[in-house]
Amino acid sequence: MNWQIALPEIVLALSGMAILLFGVLYRRDASVPCNMLTLGAFLVAAFLVLSTPDGSGYGDLFVVDAFSRFVKILILAGAALALMLSFDYNRHEGIARFEFPVLILFAVVGMMTMVSAANLMTLYLGLELQLISLYVVTAFNRTAIRSSEAALKYFVLGALASGLLLYGISLVYGFAGSTSFAALASALNAPGGASPGLVVGIVFVIAGLVFEVSAVPFHMWTPDVYEGAPTPVTVFIGTAPKVAGMALLLRTLSTPFGHLSLDWRLLIELVSLGSMILGALAAIGQTNFKRLMAYSAIGHMGYTLIGLAAGTEAGLRGALIYLVVYVFMNVGIFAGIIAMRRHGRVFEQISDLAGLARTDPALALAFAVFLFSMAGIPPLAGFFGKLYVFLAAVQAGMWTLAIIGVLTSVVGAYYYIRIVKVMFMDAPAPAIDQRPAMVSFVAAATGLFTVFFVLFSAPIVAAAQAAAQVLFG
Amino acid sequence: MADFFLHTIVGLIILTFLKALALIVPLLILVAYLTYAERKVLAAVQLRKGPNVVGWFGLLQPFADALKMIFKETIIPAGANRVLFVLAPMITFGLAILAWAVIPVNDGWGIADINVGILYLFAISSLGVYGIIIAGWASNSKYAFLGALRSAAQMVSYEVSMGFVMVSVLLCVGSLNLNDIVLAQRNIWFFIPLFPMFIVFFVSTLAETNRSPFDLPEGESEIVAGFFVEYSAMAFALFYLGEYANMILMSALTTILFLGGWLGPFGWTWLPGPIWFILKILFCLFVFLWVRATFPRYRYDQLMRLGWKVFLPASLGWLVLTAGVLLATGWVPHVSS
Amino acid sequence: MIATIGFYVFAVILLASATMVVTARNPVHSVLFLILAFFNAAALFLIAGAEFLAMILIIVYVGAVAVLFLFVVMMLDVNFAELREGVQRYAPVGLVVGLILLFELGLVLTGWHFAPSAAEIRMSPTPTALSNTAALGNVLYTRYIFLFQLAGLILLVAMIGAIVLTHRERGTARRQRIGRQNARQPEETLAMLNVALGAGIDEIGILRPLPDPAPVGAESHALPHAAEPH
Repeated sequence: MNWQIALPEIVLALSGMAILLFGVLYRRDASVPCNMLTLGAFLVAAFLVLSTPDGSGYGDLFVVDAFSRFVKILILAGAALALMLSFDYNRHEGIARFEFPVLILFAVVGMMTMVSAANLMTLYLGLELQLISLYVVTAFNRTAIRSSEAALKYFVLGALASGLLLYGISLVYGFAGSTSFAALASALNAPGGASPGLVVGIVFVIAGLVFEVSAVPFHMWTPDVYEGAPTPVTVFIGTAPKVAGMALLLRTLSTPFGHLSLDWRLLIELVSLGSMILGALAAIGQTNFKRLMAYSAIGHMGYTLIGLAAGTEAGLRGALIYLVVYVFMNVGIFAGIIAMRRHGRVFEQISDLAGLARTDPALALAFAVFLFSMAGIPPLAGFFGKLYVFLAAVQAGMWTLAIIGVLTSVVGAYYYIRIVKVMFMDAPAPAIDQRPAMVSFVAAATGLFTVFFVLFSAPIVAAAQAAAQVLFG
Repeated sequence: MADFFLHTIVGLIILTFLKALALIVPLLILVAYLTYAERKVLAAVQLRKGPNVVGWFGLLQPFADALKMIFKETIIPAGANRVLFVLAPMITFGLAILAWAVIPVNDGWGIADINVGILYLFAISSLGVYGIIIAGWASNSKYAFLGALRSAAQMVSYEVSMGFVMVSVLLCVGSLNLNDIVLAQRNIWFFIPLFPMFIVFFVSTLAETNRSPFDLPEGESEIVAGFFVEYSAMAFALFYLGEYANMILMSALTTILFLGGWLGPFGWTWLPGPIWFILKILFCLFVFLWVRATFPRYRYDQLMRLGWKVFLPASLGWLVLTAGVLLATGWVPHVSS
Repeated sequence: MIATIGFYVFAVILLASATMVVTARNPVHSVLFLILAFFNAAALFLIAGAEFLAMILIIVYVGAVAVLFLFVVMMLDVNFAELREGVQRYAPVGLVVGLILLFELGLVLTGWHFAPSAAEIRMSPTPTALSNTAALGNVLYTRYIFLFQLAGLILLVAMIGAIVLTHRERGTARRQRIGRQNARQPEETLAMLNVALGAGIDEIGILRPLPDPAPVGAESHALPHAAEPH
């Protein structure tokens, strides 16, 4: 048995248990060493991911290829950045407990397993591992009603989505006779392989996965969870799980169900359109920054799905590049939101940022960079993300998607740039507190990435190309 | 004749019924005399005489008690849930009898020789808690409810480590059939290689049957008589019988899992198998009574601590050890059928 | 023949008790009907020849899960009649949605057919040479060990979550320190003293001090005590 194929996941899970034990047995406050150990584990896992050769193992349950490697590195990066942002925030809010990094770590194990899934069962278990960890970290600030409420909503809707997914999987298994991706692909490729029952099953599977990436029509949980969860958890939910869920959607739809693309492409197109439009319009009226970011995330997922709807290699490449860009921009903006703290109290209203350019010019500049990038202003990273997916859509002849995408980007630019206006033009509000060094560091790093993406985009694009090729090879 | 019993449906049903009768009647007599034995043993430990008035050495005492119970009035409290109140003692007693369906008294002498006998026993013993919870709840009384809560928590906790002990025995046997489990002990009874598990199992059976020192559900000095405080007459007697039948059942289980069932010690065969089986059960029962006479009742937190923090890790560790030794030495039994 | 009769009997009881779970007025009765339903499901498993699953169903669901349900239902004073009011109000809407779904499923089922290769690629066909316990063991612990371990991780996370979200250090609990108890020597707690005849014991000072050394009245409280022993 080729068990080393899952070495990164195994090492990560084992180190998670070791950190848990350490945290329980350590006499003093274990949160700081546990945070550091978790970051170390992520680093080790990243090395292992890069050094694991292609192949599949565990009786065709688990597969490693360029695609999984690309996405896993992105997930690890997103999780590590989110964890770094949590240090000071958790200490301030009195929720610095050693279980936090451990839960994040297990969520990452779940996501990495999802990404490598070559079987619907692996997919489901990985997803569930990730979701359960996320429910718990969402409720982590258990004395705050908002946090518990968010977790409850997330949990109830998430359980519903898991139910839909399982129902879909059972239908697919019933009609096609297997849950293995390879076997499904060959069964469905044969003439007469796809029956209406199977298509219903696929629709349910898509519904379950679309919940994961919070795209319309399964987006309802997003604003409440984004607003209620502790901000570092919001960062985390906004990055790694989105990447993993999108990767899952890409792999599931293009590998086992690839031959049925005529059946699901229209669905993905509608989801993508709906997400872009809702993301753009609903965000306009928001005054809470975190809520606004939730709608923005819905919109961004819509853009990413254009790549999948295009159904070409270029489309998948575009979607992957979009995810990379999105993760770094998102972490950057949230680093700014975490720094929003006055006299030790957290504030989240956009109007509280008035005149930030005069009280904290560096932070205001960083915010401006990320917001312009989100709006898709060249030469920032966000522009290239959008460019690749729109190009792919045009090449595939999906003019509607491309045009609606451009239009919603323009609407989106309005509310992103409005925030910049508040920061630079309005009369200044009282100064914010000294930023923690870690937050400044994360903001600076992601900011540099966003600004100079154009200079070193070549290897990322090449890696995305290789990853996309796997799914079409 | 034999053809009728073995090959027609009606015959099989009659045969099974007769087998059940042949098992249940001695069992009920054993239950009756266990109550007598308990009083005698406790008396002996405390340098008293015990029952000695009714009949020769008080030997008719159990029947006198039974008659008294039967002729008393069953009182159902006003606020009680009548159906469940009456159902609860029946469940307790019924389950204790039901479990005997799979117990082999000698090689192949069981009413049902099923593949998953041990699981059946485990399932039945895990149901025992319902009789108590339902009784506690249906009585509509504080003390009864407290007793029921205690018992439910207690039984659920100890079942976990009992399960692990059973699994480690199963590892050594390679079958879930009770007959196979006994036959696997022809060379050595399992209480020798698995001694710590034997102790864990025996103590867990004490907790599982709510016997002292784990008789918190009754805790007559704290919560008067716990879950059956509202019961009287026959309903009470059924609980009583159920408790003793459970003790016998658990002793039989201990005998089968660890003490070689109907096999004689040192390969002796000068007594028939069922006699050895009964002797071993009697020994276990004596230990039950001995423990009751010796140890004071555990406090609730001590009970939970013992179950979750001592027995659970110990049985889990020993399970892993057993599996490791079996693998390393190549003694893993061949899985048949 | 017996199996067929058994199947219908158990299936009917299963459906009836499942209906009662939803409709029973008393929540405790609901749980008890749920248990009955589990039993009948186990019996159906037995008829299908899956004795291991039948026993595990009883051990896990009836022996552990339903006990906790019963616990919760008995402890929480949930007014289910009130909850049910909402059901009646939304019933028409639910019914309409249900009917639409049923209609759609019906449409789907008219086109019902399996993929032609479905039978060949079936992942775990019923084994012929093994008992179903052994077969399940092979599938669960050998073939799908990866998924089994993953499921274990999920349970671990659920446990961590439950502890993180509910455990509170109140600081008022008085813990038993077994080590200290066992290390206690007789000399630390026992004193052998000769008591003079008729002197009473509080003169030697081995009585526990009174909890609150009240300034006034302490004397009068102590006096009858001292006079008591003869």
